[in-house]
Amino acid sequence: MKLGALVTLKDVSKSYQSITGDRIQAVKNISFQLDEGEVVALVGPSGCGKSTILRMIAGLEKPDSGAVEEVRSERFLIGYIFQDSSLMRWRTVYNNVKVPLEILGINKPERVQKMIDMVGLSGFEKQYPNELSGGMQRRVSIARALVHEPTVLLMDEPFTGVDEITKELLQTDLLYIIGGLGVTGVLVTHDVEEAVYLADRVLVMSAHPGTIIEEVRVPLPKTREPVMRTQEPFNLCCKEIRDKLHLLTPRRPETR
Amino acid sequence: MRKNVWAFAKKEWPVAASLAIVLVVWQFISQTGIVRSFLLPAPTQIISAFQHSRVDWLSNTLVTLNEILVGFAVAVVIGISLAILISLSPLARKMVMPYIVVSQVLPTVAIAPIIYIILGFDNTSRVVLVLLISFFPIVLGTVTGLTDVDQNLIYLLKSLGAGKVKIFYKVRLPNSLPHMFVGLRIGITGATIGAVIAEFVSSNSGLGFLITTSLTNFDTTLSYVAIVILTFLGLVLYGAVELTGRLLMPWLRSR
Ligand SMILES: Nc1ncnc2c1ncn2[C@@H]1O[C@H](COP(=O)(O)OP(=O)(O)O)[C@@H](O)[C@H]1O
Ligand SMILES: [Mg+2]
Repeated sequence: MKLGALVTLKDVSKSYQSITGDRIQAVKNISFQLDEGEVVALVGPSGCGKSTILRMIAGLEKPDSGAVEEVRSERFLIGYIFQDSSLMRWRTVYNNVKVPLEILGINKPERVQKMIDMVGLSGFEKQYPNELSGGMQRRVSIARALVHEPTVLLMDEPFTGVDEITKELLQTDLLYIIGGLGVTGVLVTHDVEEAVYLADRVLVMSAHPGTIIEEVRVPLPKTREPVMRTQEPFNLCCKEIRDKLHLLTPRRPETR
Repeated sequence: MRKNVWAFAKKEWPVAASLAIVLVVWQFISQTGIVRSFLLPAPTQIISAFQHSRVDWLSNTLVTLNEILVGFAVAVVIGISLAILISLSPLARKMVMPYIVVSQVLPTVAIAPIIYIILGFDNTSRVVLVLLISFFPIVLGTVTGLTDVDQNLIYLLKSLGAGKVKIFYKVRLPNSLPHMFVGLRIGITGATIGAVIAEFVSSNSGLGFLITTSLTNFDTTLSYVAIVILTFLGLVLYGAVELTGRLLMPWLRSR
Protein backbone atom coordinates (compact mmCIF):
# COMPACT_ATOMS: atom_id res chain seq x y z
CA MET A 1 0.00 0.00 0.00
CA LYS A 2 1.83 3.07 -1.26
CA LEU A 3 0.20 6.32 -0.33
CA GLY A 4 1.14 9.84 -1.27
CA ALA A 5 2.98 12.55 0.64
CA LEU A 6 0.88 14.63 2.99
CA VAL A 7 3.62 17.09 3.90
CA THR A 8 6.82 17.89 2.07
CA LEU A 9 9.55 20.14 3.45
CA LYS A 10 11.87 21.42 0.74
CA ASP A 11 15.17 22.91 1.82
CA VAL A 12 13.58 24.76 4.70
CA SER A 13 15.62 27.25 6.74
CA LYS A 14 14.50 29.43 9.61
CA SER A 15 16.33 31.89 11.84
CA TYR A 16 15.25 33.97 14.82
CA GLN A 17 16.26 37.33 16.16
CA SER A 18 17.72 36.84 19.62
CA ILE A 19 17.18 39.34 22.43
CA THR A 20 20.74 40.63 21.98
CA GLY A 21 19.91 41.40 18.35
CA ASP A 22 21.90 38.85 16.38
CA ARG A 23 20.25 36.16 14.33
CA ILE A 24 20.14 32.54 15.46
CA GLN A 25 19.91 29.94 12.73
CA ALA A 26 17.29 27.61 14.21
CA VAL A 27 17.11 25.12 11.33
CA LYS A 28 18.98 24.92 8.03
CA ASN A 29 18.23 23.07 4.78
CA ILE A 30 15.64 20.70 6.16
CA SER A 31 14.08 18.40 3.59
CA PHE A 32 11.83 15.45 4.22
CA GLN A 33 8.54 14.01 3.22
CA LEU A 34 5.76 12.68 5.38
CA ASP A 35 3.72 9.94 3.72
CA GLU A 36 0.19 9.11 4.62
CA GLY A 37 -0.03 6.53 7.40
CA GLU A 38 3.55 6.78 8.60
CA VAL A 39 5.06 8.16 11.78
CA VAL A 40 8.35 10.00 11.42
CA ALA A 41 10.45 10.86 14.45
CA LEU A 42 12.80 13.82 14.74
CA VAL A 43 15.52 13.07 17.26
CA GLY A 44 18.19 15.48 18.33
CA PRO A 45 19.63 17.50 21.19
CA SER A 46 17.55 20.32 22.61
CA GLY A 47 17.82 23.51 20.63
CA CYS A 48 18.29 21.76 17.27
CA GLY A 49 15.04 23.17 15.98
CA LYS A 50 12.61 20.28 16.42
CA SER A 51 9.77 22.40 17.79
CA THR A 52 10.43 25.01 15.11
CA ILE A 53 9.90 22.39 12.41
CA LEU A 54 6.58 21.35 13.96
CA ARG A 55 5.43 24.98 14.17
CA MET A 56 6.22 25.43 10.48
CA ILE A 57 4.27 22.29 9.55
CA ALA A 58 1.36 23.63 11.64
CA GLY A 59 1.50 26.87 9.69
CA LEU A 60 2.29 28.87 12.83
CA GLU A 61 5.54 30.14 11.35
CA LYS A 62 6.84 30.78 7.86
CA PRO A 63 10.25 29.52 6.77
CA ASP A 64 12.83 32.15 5.71
CA SER A 65 13.60 30.10 2.62
CA GLY A 66 12.44 26.82 1.17
CA ALA A 67 8.87 25.60 1.30
CA VAL A 68 6.49 23.58 3.42
CA GLU A 69 3.99 21.99 1.06
CA GLU A 70 0.86 20.33 2.29
CA VAL A 71 -1.51 18.12 0.37
CA ARG A 72 -4.49 20.20 -0.72
CA SER A 73 -7.31 18.06 0.50
CA GLU A 74 -10.53 19.89 1.32
CA ARG A 75 -9.48 19.99 4.93
CA PHE A 76 -5.92 19.73 6.17
CA LEU A 77 -6.20 19.53 9.93
CA ILE A 78 -3.50 19.56 12.57
CA GLY A 79 -3.54 17.65 15.85
CA TYR A 80 -1.06 18.91 18.43
CA ILE A 81 0.36 17.29 21.57
CA PHE A 82 2.63 19.45 23.70
CA GLN A 83 5.35 18.64 26.18
CA ASP A 84 3.39 19.66 29.27
CA SER A 85 -0.17 18.69 28.26
CA SER A 86 -1.18 22.36 28.05
CA LEU A 87 -4.76 21.75 29.12
CA MET A 88 -7.23 24.50 29.97
CA ARG A 89 -7.29 24.50 33.78
CA TRP A 90 -10.79 25.96 33.75
CA ARG A 91 -12.33 23.20 31.67
CA THR A 92 -13.29 19.67 32.63
CA VAL A 93 -11.74 16.67 30.88
CA TYR A 94 -14.76 16.44 28.57
CA ASN A 95 -14.67 20.12 27.66
CA ASN A 96 -10.91 20.06 27.13
CA VAL A 97 -11.21 17.21 24.65
CA LYS A 98 -14.02 19.10 22.91
CA VAL A 99 -11.90 22.23 22.19
CA PRO A 100 -10.85 21.41 18.57
CA LEU A 101 -14.44 20.55 17.58
CA GLU A 102 -15.59 23.83 19.12
CA ILE A 103 -13.00 25.87 17.25
CA LEU A 104 -13.69 24.11 13.95
CA GLY A 105 -17.45 24.30 14.44
CA ILE A 106 -17.91 20.53 14.17
CA ASN A 107 -20.97 19.31 16.04
CA LYS A 108 -20.12 15.68 16.79
CA PRO A 109 -20.20 15.16 20.56
CA GLU A 110 -20.04 11.36 20.13
CA ARG A 111 -16.42 11.76 19.01
CA VAL A 112 -15.50 13.37 22.32
CA GLN A 113 -16.77 10.41 24.31
CA LYS A 114 -15.17 7.96 21.88
CA MET A 115 -11.74 9.58 22.35
CA ILE A 116 -12.11 9.75 26.12
CA ASP A 117 -12.94 6.04 26.18
CA MET A 118 -10.06 5.29 23.82
CA VAL A 119 -7.44 6.93 26.05
CA GLY A 120 -8.90 5.13 29.07
CA LEU A 121 -10.43 8.09 30.91
CA SER A 122 -14.07 6.95 31.02
CA GLY A 123 -15.56 8.12 34.29
CA PHE A 124 -13.24 11.14 34.54
CA GLU A 125 -15.20 13.37 32.15
CA LYS A 126 -16.26 15.84 34.83
CA GLN A 127 -12.88 16.14 36.57
CA TYR A 128 -10.69 19.21 36.23
CA PRO A 129 -7.05 18.87 35.10
CA ASN A 130 -5.68 19.67 38.56
CA GLU A 131 -7.54 16.63 39.89
CA LEU A 132 -5.64 14.32 37.53
CA SER A 133 -2.17 12.78 37.68
CA GLY A 134 0.45 13.91 35.16
CA GLY A 135 -0.04 10.72 33.16
CA MET A 136 -3.81 11.20 33.00
CA GLN A 137 -3.32 14.80 31.86
CA ARG A 138 -1.21 13.47 28.95
CA ARG A 139 -4.07 11.14 28.08
CA VAL A 140 -6.45 14.09 27.92
CA SER A 141 -4.07 15.92 25.61
CA ILE A 142 -3.84 12.85 23.34
CA ALA A 143 -7.64 12.65 23.16
CA ARG A 144 -7.85 16.38 22.41
CA ALA A 145 -5.25 16.07 19.65
CA LEU A 146 -7.18 13.36 17.81
CA VAL A 147 -10.84 14.23 18.39
CA HIS A 148 -11.18 16.17 15.14
CA GLU A 149 -9.53 13.37 13.10
CA PRO A 150 -6.53 15.45 12.05
CA THR A 151 -4.67 14.86 8.81
CA VAL A 152 -1.35 15.07 10.65
CA LEU A 153 -0.62 14.58 14.35
CA LEU A 154 2.26 16.68 15.69
CA MET A 155 3.80 15.39 18.93
CA ASP A 156 6.28 17.69 20.65
CA GLU A 157 8.05 15.64 23.31
CA PRO A 158 4.72 14.20 24.41
CA PHE A 159 6.08 12.27 27.39
CA THR A 160 8.93 14.39 28.68
CA GLY A 161 8.68 14.71 32.42
CA VAL A 162 6.57 11.58 32.96
CA ASP A 163 8.01 8.85 35.16
CA GLU A 164 9.52 5.89 33.26
CA ILE A 165 6.83 3.33 34.04
CA THR A 166 3.90 5.62 33.19
CA LYS A 167 5.79 6.73 30.10
CA GLU A 168 6.14 3.19 28.73
CA LEU A 169 2.45 2.51 29.35
CA LEU A 170 1.48 5.75 27.64
CA GLN A 171 3.75 4.99 24.68
CA THR A 172 2.16 1.58 24.19
CA ASP A 173 -1.34 3.05 24.45
CA LEU A 174 -0.46 5.83 22.01
CA LEU A 175 0.90 3.23 19.56
CA TYR A 176 -2.33 1.31 19.82
CA ILE A 177 -4.46 4.41 19.25
CA ILE A 178 -2.33 5.67 16.36
CA GLY A 179 -2.37 2.22 14.76
CA GLY A 180 -6.11 1.83 15.21
CA LEU A 181 -6.93 5.20 13.67
CA GLY A 182 -4.23 5.03 10.99
CA VAL A 183 -2.77 8.34 12.11
CA THR A 184 0.00 10.08 10.20
CA GLY A 185 2.34 11.79 12.61
CA VAL A 186 5.55 13.60 13.36
CA LEU A 187 7.09 12.80 16.72
CA VAL A 188 9.68 15.12 18.21
CA THR A 189 11.74 13.69 21.03
CA HIS A 190 15.19 13.47 22.52
CA ASP A 191 14.44 9.96 23.74
CA VAL A 192 16.02 7.47 21.35
CA GLU A 193 13.99 4.46 22.59
CA GLU A 194 10.77 6.42 22.27
CA ALA A 195 11.59 7.33 18.68
CA VAL A 196 12.37 3.74 17.70
CA TYR A 197 9.35 2.34 19.53
CA LEU A 198 6.82 4.78 18.02
CA ALA A 199 8.17 5.69 14.59
CA ASP A 200 8.63 4.05 11.22
CA ARG A 201 11.50 6.34 10.30
CA VAL A 202 13.83 8.33 12.50
CA LEU A 203 15.46 11.53 11.30
CA VAL A 204 18.57 12.20 13.35
CA MET A 205 19.38 15.88 13.85
CA SER A 206 22.36 17.89 14.98
CA ALA A 207 22.31 21.36 16.47
CA HIS A 208 23.83 24.78 15.62
CA PRO A 209 22.44 24.99 13.08
CA GLY A 210 19.71 22.36 13.20
CA THR A 211 20.01 19.99 10.29
CA ILE A 212 19.04 16.40 9.53
CA ILE A 213 22.23 14.37 9.48
CA GLU A 214 20.83 10.90 8.91
CA GLU A 215 17.69 8.92 8.25
CA VAL A 216 17.26 5.56 9.98
CA ARG A 217 14.49 3.15 9.03
CA VAL A 218 13.16 1.22 12.00
CA PRO A 219 13.41 -2.50 11.15
CA LEU A 220 10.32 -3.48 13.11
CA PRO A 221 6.87 -4.54 11.92
CA LYS A 222 4.23 -1.80 11.76
CA THR A 223 2.38 -3.39 14.66
CA ARG A 224 4.66 -3.08 17.66
CA GLU A 225 4.54 -5.14 20.85
CA PRO A 226 6.04 -3.95 24.13
CA VAL A 227 8.28 -6.99 24.29
CA MET A 228 10.08 -5.85 21.14
CA ARG A 229 11.75 -3.17 23.24
CA THR A 230 13.90 -5.87 24.77
CA GLN A 231 14.85 -7.59 21.54
CA GLU A 232 17.86 -7.47 19.25
CA PRO A 233 16.52 -5.45 16.27
CA PHE A 234 15.18 -2.73 18.56
CA ASN A 235 18.41 -2.46 20.47
CA LEU A 236 20.54 -2.45 17.35
CA CYS A 237 18.43 0.33 15.89
CA CYS A 238 18.79 2.40 19.07
CA LYS A 239 22.53 1.78 18.98
CA GLU A 240 22.75 2.97 15.40
CA ILE A 241 20.92 6.21 16.28
CA ARG A 242 23.06 6.77 19.38
CA ASP A 243 26.11 6.35 17.18
CA LYS A 244 24.83 8.98 14.71
CA LEU A 245 24.28 11.31 17.66
CA HIS A 246 27.94 10.69 18.64
CA LEU A 247 26.86 9.32 21.97
CA LEU A 248 29.06 6.25 21.68
CA THR A 249 32.31 8.10 21.09
CA PRO A 250 34.61 8.39 24.10
CA ARG A 251 35.21 12.02 25.03
CA ARG A 252 36.61 14.32 27.64
CA PRO A 253 34.38 16.74 29.43
CA GLU A 254 34.60 20.02 27.62
CA THR A 255 32.77 23.26 27.66
CA ARG A 256 30.57 24.07 24.68
CA MET B 1 -26.80 19.29 57.49
CA ARG B 2 -26.12 18.85 61.21
CA LYS B 3 -23.05 16.85 60.23
CA ASN B 4 -21.86 19.78 58.11
CA VAL B 5 -22.28 22.22 60.96
CA TRP B 6 -20.32 19.91 63.23
CA ALA B 7 -17.53 19.52 60.65
CA PHE B 8 -17.42 23.29 60.20
CA ALA B 9 -17.23 23.85 63.94
CA LYS B 10 -14.49 21.27 64.24
CA LYS B 11 -12.44 22.95 61.51
CA GLU B 12 -13.05 26.59 62.37
CA TRP B 13 -13.07 26.55 66.18
CA PRO B 14 -9.65 28.31 66.41
CA VAL B 15 -11.19 31.39 64.77
CA ALA B 16 -13.96 31.55 67.35
CA ALA B 17 -11.56 30.80 70.18
CA SER B 18 -9.10 33.54 69.25
CA LEU B 19 -11.95 36.03 68.83
CA ALA B 20 -13.24 35.12 72.30
CA ILE B 21 -9.79 35.56 73.81
CA VAL B 22 -9.31 38.96 72.16
CA LEU B 23 -12.72 40.15 73.39
CA VAL B 24 -12.11 38.94 76.96
CA VAL B 25 -8.65 40.55 77.15
CA TRP B 26 -10.03 43.77 75.63
CA GLN B 27 -12.87 43.87 78.16
CA PHE B 28 -10.39 43.23 81.00
CA ILE B 29 -7.90 45.91 79.91
CA SER B 30 -10.63 48.51 79.57
CA GLN B 31 -12.65 47.64 82.68
CA THR B 32 -9.65 47.48 85.03
CA GLY B 33 -8.47 50.85 83.72
CA ILE B 34 -5.11 49.61 82.39
CA VAL B 35 -6.09 51.70 79.38
CA ARG B 36 -8.60 54.42 80.20
CA SER B 37 -12.03 53.52 78.87
CA PHE B 38 -12.25 56.97 77.30
CA LEU B 39 -9.46 55.87 74.95
CA LEU B 40 -10.46 52.23 74.65
CA PRO B 41 -14.08 51.56 75.59
CA ALA B 42 -14.91 47.97 76.56
CA PRO B 43 -16.82 45.78 74.07
CA THR B 44 -19.87 45.91 76.35
CA GLN B 45 -19.76 49.73 76.34
CA ILE B 46 -19.59 49.75 72.57
CA ILE B 47 -22.59 47.46 72.30
CA SER B 48 -24.61 49.57 74.69
CA ALA B 49 -23.68 52.76 72.83
CA PHE B 50 -24.86 51.09 69.63
CA GLN B 51 -28.21 50.28 71.26
CA HIS B 52 -28.85 53.51 73.12
CA SER B 53 -27.39 56.37 71.09
CA ARG B 54 -29.76 58.43 68.94
CA VAL B 55 -27.65 57.89 65.82
CA ASP B 56 -29.41 56.24 62.86
CA TRP B 57 -26.80 53.55 62.23
CA LEU B 58 -28.65 51.88 59.41
CA SER B 59 -29.06 54.94 57.20
CA ASN B 60 -25.45 56.03 57.79
CA THR B 61 -24.20 52.55 56.96
CA LEU B 62 -26.26 52.57 53.77
CA VAL B 63 -24.74 55.93 52.78
CA THR B 64 -21.21 54.52 53.06
CA LEU B 65 -22.19 51.20 51.48
CA ASN B 66 -23.67 53.06 48.53
CA GLU B 67 -20.44 55.02 47.98
CA ILE B 68 -18.40 51.83 48.16
CA LEU B 69 -20.61 49.81 45.82
CA VAL B 70 -21.03 52.50 43.16
CA GLY B 71 -17.33 53.41 43.25
CA PHE B 72 -16.28 49.77 43.13
CA ALA B 73 -18.68 48.92 40.31
CA VAL B 74 -17.30 51.77 38.21
CA ALA B 75 -13.76 50.66 39.15
CA VAL B 76 -14.51 47.14 37.92
CA VAL B 77 -15.87 48.35 34.59
CA ILE B 78 -13.07 50.89 34.02
CA GLY B 79 -10.37 48.57 35.41
CA ILE B 80 -11.27 45.59 33.23
CA SER B 81 -11.75 47.76 30.14
CA LEU B 82 -8.34 49.39 30.62
CA ALA B 83 -6.79 45.96 31.20
CA ILE B 84 -8.23 44.62 27.95
CA LEU B 85 -7.02 47.70 26.08
CA ILE B 86 -3.53 47.43 27.59
CA SER B 87 -3.27 43.70 26.91
CA LEU B 88 -4.33 44.12 23.28
CA SER B 89 -2.05 46.97 22.31
CA PRO B 90 1.55 47.67 23.34
CA LEU B 91 1.00 51.24 22.15
CA ALA B 92 -1.96 51.69 24.50
CA ARG B 93 0.11 50.17 27.30
CA LYS B 94 2.86 52.75 26.79
CA MET B 95 0.41 55.63 26.52
CA VAL B 96 -1.98 54.77 29.34
CA MET B 97 0.08 52.91 31.92
CA PRO B 98 2.10 55.94 33.17
CA TYR B 99 -1.10 57.80 34.12
CA ILE B 100 -2.49 54.74 35.85
CA VAL B 101 0.68 54.47 37.92
CA VAL B 102 0.70 58.23 38.65
CA SER B 103 -2.88 57.99 39.91
CA GLN B 104 -1.63 55.50 42.48
CA VAL B 105 1.57 57.25 43.47
CA LEU B 106 -0.36 60.39 44.32
CA PRO B 107 -1.65 59.93 47.87
CA THR B 108 -5.44 59.89 47.67
CA VAL B 109 -5.72 61.97 50.85
CA ALA B 110 -3.68 64.69 49.20
CA ILE B 111 -5.79 64.96 46.07
CA ALA B 112 -9.14 64.44 47.80
CA PRO B 113 -9.75 68.16 48.50
CA ILE B 114 -8.87 69.02 44.89
CA ILE B 115 -11.34 66.42 43.63
CA TYR B 116 -14.05 67.99 45.77
CA ILE B 117 -13.24 71.41 44.39
CA ILE B 118 -13.36 70.17 40.81
CA LEU B 119 -16.35 67.83 40.98
CA GLY B 120 -18.33 69.50 43.74
CA PHE B 121 -18.96 68.67 47.38
CA ASP B 122 -21.33 65.78 46.75
CA ASN B 123 -21.45 62.06 46.19
CA THR B 124 -19.79 62.17 42.79
CA SER B 125 -16.50 63.17 44.38
CA ARG B 126 -16.74 60.40 46.96
CA VAL B 127 -17.45 57.81 44.28
CA VAL B 128 -14.48 59.05 42.28
CA LEU B 129 -12.21 58.73 45.33
CA VAL B 130 -13.40 55.16 45.91
CA LEU B 131 -12.79 54.44 42.25
CA LEU B 132 -9.29 55.96 42.34
CA ILE B 133 -8.15 53.68 45.15
CA SER B 134 -9.77 50.47 43.97
CA PHE B 135 -9.28 50.31 40.20
CA PHE B 136 -5.49 49.92 40.16
CA PRO B 137 -5.21 46.35 41.52
CA ILE B 138 -8.05 45.33 39.21
CA VAL B 139 -6.14 46.63 36.18
CA LEU B 140 -2.88 44.99 37.22
CA GLY B 141 -4.44 41.62 38.06
CA THR B 142 -6.49 41.47 34.89
CA VAL B 143 -3.60 42.49 32.64
CA THR B 144 -1.45 39.75 34.16
CA GLY B 145 -4.20 37.19 33.64
CA LEU B 146 -4.83 38.23 30.06
CA THR B 147 -1.17 38.19 29.03
CA ASP B 148 0.38 35.44 31.16
CA VAL B 149 -1.08 32.66 29.01
CA ASP B 150 0.28 29.22 28.12
CA GLN B 151 1.79 29.88 24.68
CA ASN B 152 1.01 26.31 23.61
CA LEU B 153 -2.71 26.92 24.04
CA ILE B 154 -2.42 29.85 21.68
CA TYR B 155 -0.51 27.68 19.20
CA LEU B 156 -3.18 24.99 19.52
CA LEU B 157 -6.02 27.37 18.73
CA LYS B 158 -4.10 29.10 15.95
CA SER B 159 -3.25 25.76 14.33
CA LEU B 160 -7.00 25.12 14.18
CA GLY B 161 -7.57 28.44 12.47
CA ALA B 162 -8.78 30.47 15.45
CA GLY B 163 -8.29 34.22 15.25
CA LYS B 164 -7.44 36.81 17.91
CA VAL B 165 -11.05 37.21 19.04
CA LYS B 166 -11.62 33.49 19.57
CA ILE B 167 -8.28 33.16 21.38
CA PHE B 168 -9.32 36.08 23.55
CA TYR B 169 -12.53 34.63 24.87
CA LYS B 170 -11.59 30.96 24.77
CA VAL B 171 -8.15 31.33 26.39
CA ARG B 172 -7.18 34.79 27.62
CA LEU B 173 -10.41 35.68 29.38
CA PRO B 174 -10.88 32.46 31.40
CA ASN B 175 -7.15 32.42 32.08
CA SER B 176 -7.40 35.92 33.54
CA LEU B 177 -10.14 35.13 36.08
CA PRO B 178 -7.98 33.99 39.03
CA HIS B 179 -5.64 37.00 38.60
CA MET B 180 -8.59 39.34 38.10
CA PHE B 181 -10.08 38.15 41.37
CA VAL B 182 -6.86 38.81 43.26
CA GLY B 183 -7.23 42.38 42.00
CA LEU B 184 -10.92 42.49 42.92
CA ARG B 185 -10.23 41.29 46.48
CA ILE B 186 -7.58 43.98 46.98
CA GLY B 187 -9.82 46.50 45.20
CA ILE B 188 -12.83 45.96 47.47
CA THR B 189 -10.76 46.58 50.61
CA GLY B 190 -9.39 49.72 48.95
CA ALA B 191 -12.92 50.84 48.13
CA THR B 192 -13.87 50.82 51.82
CA ILE B 193 -10.79 52.87 52.67
CA GLY B 194 -11.58 55.29 49.86
CA ALA B 195 -15.14 55.89 51.07
CA VAL B 196 -13.97 56.64 54.63
CA ILE B 197 -11.22 58.98 53.47
CA ALA B 198 -13.71 60.77 51.23
CA GLU B 199 -16.11 61.21 54.17
CA PHE B 200 -13.29 62.42 56.42
CA VAL B 201 -12.52 65.20 53.97
CA SER B 202 -16.10 66.28 53.37
CA SER B 203 -19.49 64.77 54.17
CA ASN B 204 -22.63 65.16 56.22
CA SER B 205 -23.51 61.49 56.70
CA GLY B 206 -21.93 58.04 56.58
CA LEU B 207 -19.79 55.98 58.93
CA GLY B 208 -16.63 58.01 58.21
CA PHE B 209 -18.61 61.18 58.95
CA LEU B 210 -19.77 59.66 62.28
CA ILE B 211 -16.17 58.84 63.25
CA THR B 212 -14.95 62.42 62.70
CA THR B 213 -17.96 64.12 64.32
CA SER B 214 -18.05 61.88 67.39
CA LEU B 215 -14.30 62.44 67.88
CA THR B 216 -14.69 66.23 67.72
CA ASN B 217 -17.41 65.80 70.37
CA PHE B 218 -15.01 63.68 72.47
CA ASP B 219 -17.45 60.79 72.23
CA THR B 220 -14.92 58.05 71.48
CA THR B 221 -17.36 55.23 72.16
CA LEU B 222 -19.56 56.33 69.28
CA SER B 223 -16.63 56.38 66.88
CA TYR B 224 -15.77 52.85 68.02
CA VAL B 225 -19.28 51.74 67.10
CA ALA B 226 -18.80 53.19 63.63
CA ILE B 227 -15.42 51.46 63.32
CA VAL B 228 -16.89 48.09 64.32
CA ILE B 229 -19.71 48.48 61.78
CA LEU B 230 -17.14 49.45 59.12
CA THR B 231 -15.15 46.34 59.96
CA PHE B 232 -18.20 44.12 59.52
CA LEU B 233 -19.08 45.92 56.32
CA GLY B 234 -15.57 45.41 54.95
CA LEU B 235 -15.60 41.71 55.87
CA VAL B 236 -18.99 41.11 54.27
CA LEU B 237 -17.95 42.87 51.06
CA TYR B 238 -14.68 40.96 50.91
CA GLY B 239 -16.55 37.72 51.53
CA ALA B 240 -19.00 38.52 48.75
CA VAL B 241 -16.16 39.04 46.26
CA GLU B 242 -14.48 35.84 47.44
CA LEU B 243 -17.73 33.89 47.10
CA THR B 244 -18.36 35.24 43.59
CA GLY B 245 -14.87 34.10 42.68
CA ARG B 246 -15.50 30.60 43.94
CA LEU B 247 -18.75 30.36 42.04
CA LEU B 248 -17.13 31.55 38.80
CA MET B 249 -14.04 29.35 39.17
CA PRO B 250 -15.15 25.89 40.27
CA TRP B 251 -11.85 24.42 39.05
CA LEU B 252 -9.98 26.14 41.87
CA ARG B 253 -12.12 24.41 44.48
CA SER B 254 -10.93 20.93 43.58
CA ARG B 255 -7.71 19.76 45.27
N1 LIG C 1 10.51 32.47 19.17
C1 LIG C 1 11.86 32.36 19.19
N2 LIG C 1 12.63 33.47 19.30
C2 LIG C 1 13.96 33.38 19.34
N3 LIG C 1 14.65 32.22 19.24
C3 LIG C 1 13.95 31.08 19.12
C4 LIG C 1 12.52 31.08 19.09
N4 LIG C 1 12.09 29.81 18.97
C5 LIG C 1 13.19 29.04 18.91
N5 LIG C 1 14.32 29.80 19.00
C6 LIG C 1 15.70 29.30 18.93
O1 LIG C 1 15.78 28.41 17.86
C7 LIG C 1 16.52 27.27 18.20
C8 LIG C 1 15.68 26.02 18.02
O2 LIG C 1 14.62 26.02 18.98
P1 LIG C 1 13.57 24.84 19.11
O3 LIG C 1 12.89 24.64 17.82
O4 LIG C 1 12.72 25.15 20.27
O5 LIG C 1 14.50 23.59 19.44
P2 LIG C 1 14.14 22.18 20.10
O6 LIG C 1 12.65 22.03 20.06
O7 LIG C 1 14.84 21.17 19.26
O8 LIG C 1 14.67 22.18 21.48
C9 LIG C 1 17.00 27.47 19.63
O9 LIG C 1 18.31 27.97 19.61
C10 LIG C 1 16.05 28.50 20.16
O10 LIG C 1 16.68 29.29 21.14
MG1 LIG D 1 11.30 21.82 21.70
